[in-house]
Amino acid sequence: MLSVRDLGVAFGSVQPLSGVSFTVSPGETLGIVGESGSGKSLTAMSVMGLLPLIGGRITGGTVEFDGADVTKLPERAYRKLRGGKIGLITQNPMTSLDPLQKIGPQVDDVAKLHMGMTGAEARARTVEILGTLRIPEPALICDRYPHQMSGGMKQRIVIAMALAADPDVLIADEPTTALDVTVQAQIIRLLDDLVKERNLALVLITHDMSVVAQTCDKIVVMYAGRAVEHGPVEAIFDRPRHPYTQALIACIPRGLDDATRLTGIEGTVPTVLNYPKGCPFHPRCPRAEAICAVEPPEFSVEGDSAAACHFAEVAHVQPA
Amino acid sequence: MSNLLEVRDLSKRFTSAGGPFRKARSMHAVNGVTFDLPKGRVIGVVGESGCGKSTLARLILRLIEPSGGGVNFDGDDLLAKTPGQMRKLRARMQMVFQDPYSAIDPRYTLTRAVAEPFEVQGVTPAKPMAEEVADLLEMVGLNPGLATSYPHQISGGQKQRVGIARALALRPSLLVLDEPTASLDVSVQAQIIGLLEDLRAELGLTYLFISHDLSLVKYFCDEILVMYLGRVVEALPDTSAPARHPYTRTLMESTFEPDPKKRRLIAPLEGEVPSPFDLPPGCAFADRCPKASALCRSETPELSADNGHAVACHHPI
Ligand SMILES: Nc1ncnc2c1ncn2[C@@H]1O[C@H](COP(=O)(O)OP(=O)(O)OP(=O)(O)O)[C@@H](O)[C@H]1O
Ligand SMILES: Nc1ncnc2c1ncn2[C@@H]1O[C@H](COP(=O)(O)OP(=O)(O)OP(=O)(O)O)[C@@H](O)[C@H]1O
Ligand code: SF4
Ligand code: SF4
Ligand SMILES: [Mg+2]
Ligand SMILES: [Mg+2]
Repeated sequence: MLSVRDLGVAFGSVQPLSGVSFTVSPGETLGIVGESGSGKSLTAMSVMGLLPLIGGRITGGTVEFDGADVTKLPERAYRKLRGGKIGLITQNPMTSLDPLQKIGPQVDDVAKLHMGMTGAEARARTVEILGTLRIPEPALICDRYPHQMSGGMKQRIVIAMALAADPDVLIADEPTTALDVTVQAQIIRLLDDLVKERNLALVLITHDMSVVAQTCDKIVVMYAGRAVEHGPVEAIFDRPRHPYTQALIACIPRGLDDATRLTGIEGTVPTVLNYPKGCPFHPRCPRAEAICAVEPPEFSVEGDSAAACHFAEVAHVQPA
Repeated sequence: MSNLLEVRDLSKRFTSAGGPFRKARSMHAVNGVTFDLPKGRVIGVVGESGCGKSTLARLILRLIEPSGGGVNFDGDDLLAKTPGQMRKLRARMQMVFQDPYSAIDPRYTLTRAVAEPFEVQGVTPAKPMAEEVADLLEMVGLNPGLATSYPHQISGGQKQRVGIARALALRPSLLVLDEPTASLDVSVQAQIIGLLEDLRAELGLTYLFISHDLSLVKYFCDEILVMYLGRVVEALPDTSAPARHPYTRTLMESTFEPDPKKRRLIAPLEGEVPSPFDLPPGCAFADRCPKASALCRSETPELSADNGHAVACHHPI
């Protein structure tokens, strides 16, 4: 369905993203996790063909949608795809909503543009979608302005806008980060239901490992603009093979049944301007050896998982 | 064990300005909060955005004046203090804020930022200032070589450490931590939490730890206060106590386990949070509560304790 292979992105001479690969199929949820600045949003922007807007360009790799590479598409064709077959939900609902326009017309516009519907058809569809998102009294809500709704409601409207074009793939960039836990749980449930009911392929971008554990079938772990480990979610949580994934999992407070003390990961996340040579994790890696500073590791494949570490085969130690 | 902090029936009302077409309206951001914080313990305060956590913190440090109730700190009635006395006392009760970016002045070097509390209090440290600053930086795990850096030259986690170093400068006994890791990555959050654990062990600090992250609070705290719309609805005497209030139960069920084998069914939650300006009579959670009865909609449940476990609910679980 959506298949990204060896994606690289540059802004002028800086290369914040390289070697990112993943695939998602209908009915499947893929999680992209990583710390702030690891390249999650850039990955989403690349797939959506939005890089030119922020002055970036794809320097390598392919983004295949239904078997065809879309990175070579002219902007007009991309525009049809974007917001059509591929939908995007951004972290901050207010960036996707026009504060001066009522909710109903904003959602209607999507169906008019992408499905060629008339005003009345589009409104009927809007009301139906708002209903499936469990928004009470959808017809009345259409007459409200964004500022008259709670954060969780606004986020649902943004999801409704993405769904209005009947997408096959939905990319959700931190869709719940700004929300309270009870609202987050509802939105996550909603996305989960949509994947099952509509056979959507969902790419869920988050830095929250608990959200990933709750929802995803498989995950990609990113560090310093690279995918460092990917595989089925249970395998990665059970037996992370990349030292960074191991460290990340060890950072999660687990409350009672786990007495291990949190220590964090020493050092700081590198910025684009100082991505380390060799393995990007080597300055912070407890297992690093001389080779790590010189040679970028290849992926070591095991079953459906792969980890980019020189010592992935022997790195089976559980996080302390 | 003696109490370092005693909070009694503490309340704060905010009034929105009226206009030609609007009546002035008022709401209780904090409503009748009572609890004791014994020396050396860590109490966590959880609740969703807007429930009054930060307002409670500010009231406790008397950064804002309460509309009612009182605070006793180490035997001193804070509300009876003059501003001068209050400033002296504040050396012993410090706050660490959520946003490490706004906590330090971007024009100050780290030395100046960490030395500032001494200047504000007019206190001369026992050691020469440079040595004192270096010690404080080291205490929070920062290389003293960073002393001449400016905030924009360090990371978010390092800034939060500077915020903690400043709070520790005058050797407080109480630290009020208002979402100290909310803007940080998990790896940095874990560093800061580890640091706070060390400092607690070394300096015998007492913490009031505010967060919306229940897993973090369960990990870090000894007792937990759960707030909903300005009120404490449950006081869990330890972190393994099962929830008795339906709202606490909802919070716990909304918190995911970081383990794909422990997925949970997310129950649909009916109803919206009522407007704090327009609270219905009775229990504020009634609209979203599966156990709500007619009694719940007419009478506000009082917080009452059973074996040290207090809950404000007519039909506790
Ligand atoms: N317009 C741009 N020009 C140059 N570099 C950029 C630009 N946008 C992003 N970057 C860099 O690319 C890297 C990845 O950024 P990205 O926004 O994808 O991170 P992220 O994983 O989404 O982080 P967060 O969790 O904070 O949202 C960062 O180091 C960032 O500084
Ligand atoms: N100075 C003020 N004037 C008027 N209303 C205020 C003021 N400060 C806070 N409030 C209101 O009081 C309520 C409680 O706010 P508070 O900041 O204490 O919540 P909180 O629990 O800290 O939320 P968050 O998790 O978002 O930080 C909110 O409804 C807020 O809008
Ligand atoms: S390649 Fe080396 S530095 Fe990189 S994760 Fe593996 S052991 Fe660590
Ligand atoms: S008092 Fe009633 S409405 Fe409120 S939480 Fe208890 S059962 Fe629910
Ligand atoms: Mg991002
Ligand atoms: Mg707050």
